[in-house]
Amino acid sequence: MKKGLISLVMAGVLTAGLLAGCAGGAAPAAAPADAAPAAEAAAPAEGGSGSGEIKIWVADNVVDFTTKRAAQFMEEYPQYAGYKVTVEPVGEGDAAGNMITDVEAGADIYAFAQDQIARLVSAGALEEMNPDLLDAVTTENDPGSVAAATVGGKVYAYPLTSDNGYFLYYDKSVVTDPSDLDKILADCEAAGKNFYMEINSGWYQTAFFFGTGCTLTYDTDDAGNFTACNVDYASDKGVIAMKEMIKVKASPAFQNGSAAGEATNLAAIVDGTWDAGTVKELFGDNYACAKLPSFVGDDGNTYQLSGFGGFKLLGVKPQTDENKLEACDHLAGYLAGEASQQLRYEEVGWGPSNLKAQKSDAVQADEALSALADQLQYDIPQGQYPGEYWSLATGLGDDIIQGNLNPDSSDDDIMKALQTFQDTCISYAK
Amino acid sequence: MAENKKPKKREYAAFSLKDNLKEIGTTFATGDWKTKLSFLIMGFGPLMRGQIVKGLLFLFCEIAFIAYMIGFGAKYMVKLPTLGTVETQKIGRKTVYGDNSFLILLFGILTVIVVAAFILVWRMNVRENLIEETALKKGKALPSNKKFLASLLDENFDKTLLALPCLGIFVFTVLPIIFMICVAFTNYDKNHQSPTNLFTWVGLQNFRELFSFGSSGFGGTFVTVLIWTLIWAFLATFIDYFLGLAVAMLINKKGIKLKKLWRTILVLTIAVPQFVSLLYIMKMFGNDGIVNGYLMKWGWISSPIPFWTNPTLAKVMIIVINIWVGIPYMMLIATGLLMNIPEDLYESARIDGANPFQMFVKITLPYMLFVTGPFLLTQFTGNLNNFNVIYLLTQGRPQSMKLVGNAGYTDLLVTWLYKMTVTETNYRMAAVIGIMVFIVTAVISLIVYNMLPSVRDEEGFQ
Amino acid sequence: MKEKKTASMSRKRAISNFFAYILLVIISIIWLFPFFGLIMQSFRSYLSEYGGMVNYIIPKNFSLDNYRFLFSGETNFVRWYTNTVVIALAVAVLQTLIVLCVSYALSRMRFRGRTFLMRFWLVLGMFPGFLTMICMYFLLKQFGLTQAGAVPGLILVYIASCGMGYYVCKGYFDTIPKALDEAARIDGATRAQIFVQMIIPLSKPIVIYTALVAFLAPWCDYIFASYVAFGNDKSYNVAVAMTRWVWTNDYQGYFTRFCAGGIMVAVPVTILFMCLQKYYVEGVTGGAVKG
Repeated sequence: MKKGLISLVMAGVLTAGLLAGCAGGAAPAAAPADAAPAAEAAAPAEGGSGSGEIKIWVADNVVDFTTKRAAQFMEEYPQYAGYKVTVEPVGEGDAAGNMITDVEAGADIYAFAQDQIARLVSAGALEEMNPDLLDAVTTENDPGSVAAATVGGKVYAYPLTSDNGYFLYYDKSVVTDPSDLDKILADCEAAGKNFYMEINSGWYQTAFFFGTGCTLTYDTDDAGNFTACNVDYASDKGVIAMKEMIKVKASPAFQNGSAAGEATNLAAIVDGTWDAGTVKELFGDNYACAKLPSFVGDDGNTYQLSGFGGFKLLGVKPQTDENKLEACDHLAGYLAGEASQQLRYEEVGWGPSNLKAQKSDAVQADEALSALADQLQYDIPQGQYPGEYWSLATGLGDDIIQGNLNPDSSDDDIMKALQTFQDTCISYAK
Repeated sequence: MAENKKPKKREYAAFSLKDNLKEIGTTFATGDWKTKLSFLIMGFGPLMRGQIVKGLLFLFCEIAFIAYMIGFGAKYMVKLPTLGTVETQKIGRKTVYGDNSFLILLFGILTVIVVAAFILVWRMNVRENLIEETALKKGKALPSNKKFLASLLDENFDKTLLALPCLGIFVFTVLPIIFMICVAFTNYDKNHQSPTNLFTWVGLQNFRELFSFGSSGFGGTFVTVLIWTLIWAFLATFIDYFLGLAVAMLINKKGIKLKKLWRTILVLTIAVPQFVSLLYIMKMFGNDGIVNGYLMKWGWISSPIPFWTNPTLAKVMIIVINIWVGIPYMMLIATGLLMNIPEDLYESARIDGANPFQMFVKITLPYMLFVTGPFLLTQFTGNLNNFNVIYLLTQGRPQSMKLVGNAGYTDLLVTWLYKMTVTETNYRMAAVIGIMVFIVTAVISLIVYNMLPSVRDEEGFQ
Repeated sequence: MKEKKTASMSRKRAISNFFAYILLVIISIIWLFPFFGLIMQSFRSYLSEYGGMVNYIIPKNFSLDNYRFLFSGETNFVRWYTNTVVIALAVAVLQTLIVLCVSYALSRMRFRGRTFLMRFWLVLGMFPGFLTMICMYFLLKQFGLTQAGAVPGLILVYIASCGMGYYVCKGYFDTIPKALDEAARIDGATRAQIFVQMIIPLSKPIVIYTALVAFLAPWCDYIFASYVAFGNDKSYNVAVAMTRWVWTNDYQGYFTRFCAGGIMVAVPVTILFMCLQKYYVEGVTGGAVKG
């Protein structure tokens, strides 16, 4: 058997040869540390010129828009014309995942939802904001969006939209009173239609918990690590919220989901502005939007549903070439600037985070955006949450949907589930 | 089996390290200067004795090895014990990446293997000299270069045929597997992600975490997932097996016409790529899918059946839909095999007054089980790792607070491993789970393998 | 007496066959239903009707909108399709060659380390493939075969380890009598000549089977292919690109388009499969018995 290794050995030797052969080509790429001095030597002192490729990842429906705006950027700022911009359709969720998997191969500029920012910072996939642009970005955008782009006191990304929140879309012909959750459900039941809300998502779920006054936030250090968790879900307030979720789930009209495009028999849905077009098509003339409803809790008090106010951000990844970094910074700043946000709203309907763009007539007249603006008064700006939180929250929601927690569950059972939830949340902060 | 396998010549075969060293020593001591120089310059002896091809091969190996070590391998191998120490820095606003632990581990392992392979080649080089010298001393002529090359198409044809496949398997299977096994002993996860952060060796810590049964420990989840994986593999294999057999017998039944049509309808499932058919079926049974849609329209149910959100129902659905996927394979296999059963067996049973059921239990089933034993084993291990059915239908959901690490109630170990790699980038735990999958598969295979008499004697089949 | 018995037997058989037919029809309906639904949904218009989920099967108006969308250039569907075809063809050819080589060596030749090699590969096969995904990705990246180079990269990965899947083919070779080889060798043929001139021509069914299986696999890879393409839209294969339409929220109302794309993928593959079904059955049956 030992003697028989020969064929394997030969294979091994061939490999060695092969890899030695390719090593010449691979080595510089493999060891960027070695390559760094060369880049330094090549760097001209001033001016932000340079050449290369800038890769941008954005969601599919804004690829054309982004390509167009990037071309305009090159016209307006010819000093960066040496860079060739390519825009690829990579959704916000995939972009963050890919950036973390392989920063080097990832995009230079990419859009992501702000809940990913802590992960991205600790994986080294986000560069701090260029100090030259910092002032403009922080003053021109709404404070919530700037806070969302900040980790450990440093701003890491350019606010892109201020519309990552949810509110109620409803069918005027079915829902008579959009301000009362119980009435909405009753109307839907009576009409044999469905009410959609994704209660097994850590994002939508907070509508109930924050609504009854619970808190759940995390503190982060400069590197994006979670240091402490402030949570009081395991309380009477939490139990009231849970009971309301269980009650909603028990309604035959309830459907778990938040994608209008996949909903059937829809009469009302808790969803965001990105689905405005789809819902408008579905409801036609009966299309209407409102802030989230309120509900009468188990204790007899009325609670207004709250939730996360969220933002989409544009990030620049760390670069080994200072010139390119400068070009990326300015391009990202341009793509997230007032003019771009305004145009983006006009073309694809994304609600701007830029204060001036928010004040424009078109934005002010938008039903969905004004419903969102109403709702945002009750919302908590979304801070940083560890990745595990989202799957934990899905677990909590699934326990309700599966009926592990149901209208017959005692307060103790509910409290126990919330206690587990709370303890696990705390355990994520180390 | 007739095989021209004479007893192997043992004169040069030395198996223990001691014998090897002894042989190397005597080769050096008794060898001529050509042999002695070959110890340093590989292939020198064969080259001088006219064995140009062999000599050049050895020489090339040595040069390639030295070039590899100097240009590439050595710098990774030295850092292997620490997996890198140079941290990533910022110079101005520029990022200067430090050591890349990932590449150090990967190429470090490769280099260790290359060094080991080189030592073996060197050993072959020494022996080649010994063989040649002995042959020359005995007055025999050495084989010509032409003959050596020709042998690669004849008696050494196996080496020609296997060189490339073995190389491919080494680079893209063996090396990655060794790498991932090593990752199980490091802290490579989302907080230690190359190239920005370093990761390093942590010993058995990850295995301890897998078997810790606290509230946030992996233990409970691992056991839950493992049990469902085993139940799933068992049910998926045997339900499909018997139902497939039944359908095959139904189609084979005497007097049934259009046999080909029935088979073709079933075989469609195999032909259509699964991502198309299974994703459609997943949507079909969704809360908003057409099954619930029609049931509600007809007034049979008032609220949708939670096919995918209720853990038990989701498990049942997966098994049922897997029947849809699995029966056609089994039907195809059984159809061919059923025809091989001698008809007179049934005839004599019929004369003895056996009813169809008795005939099935006494003749068909034992025959099928005997013949398809190995197939059942591969099916079972295949189902243990049946990624497509689970991931396309439920992606492992529904989740619960009772399960950690993003696992869901329908997750198999392998889909959990996938989520761990892609969504959580928790490579260290993914590697540990991967090792567990291997252990489970290997143990089951070993047990079943030893129970199957027909597999052990490979030559007996021929 | 005897005639009566056969008459009753044939009546019995007729009744049991009647039930058998009913069963077969039911089975056929179940098996065909998803495909029927898929085809129907693909004709539901995104523009005039609705692209998401609805609670009826037959579209109100049949339209080719979804197919038009695929080929309109709004997406890279044609590119994805071409990628997949290129990969599938290359893999079919190269994998068949490699599997034949390995199978011949293992079936016909007896060399040192043969059993070891077979056992070693068997053990390797017990490791789950996804385990090594991240490592393979970075290996390919070293060769420059990710992102823009994903197509050759994927071909390389698919064929690199295919030698381990020699079982079915070797099993077939084992059934070809060795006496044929011996006779040819006495006539002075080399191993290579026997392999090329004798064994391969005798193995047409297994060659077709191997090529067919190799051709089908790349159509369904939505995992590793997505890793290797790494966000480069032009390097996707159909499976990666189209699973996004179902799984990602960015693509709402793409469901009917997914169905149309699914039909575009399924129809040619299915026709090919049906034409070569005979060989597939032979391979699968042989493989099952040999294990």
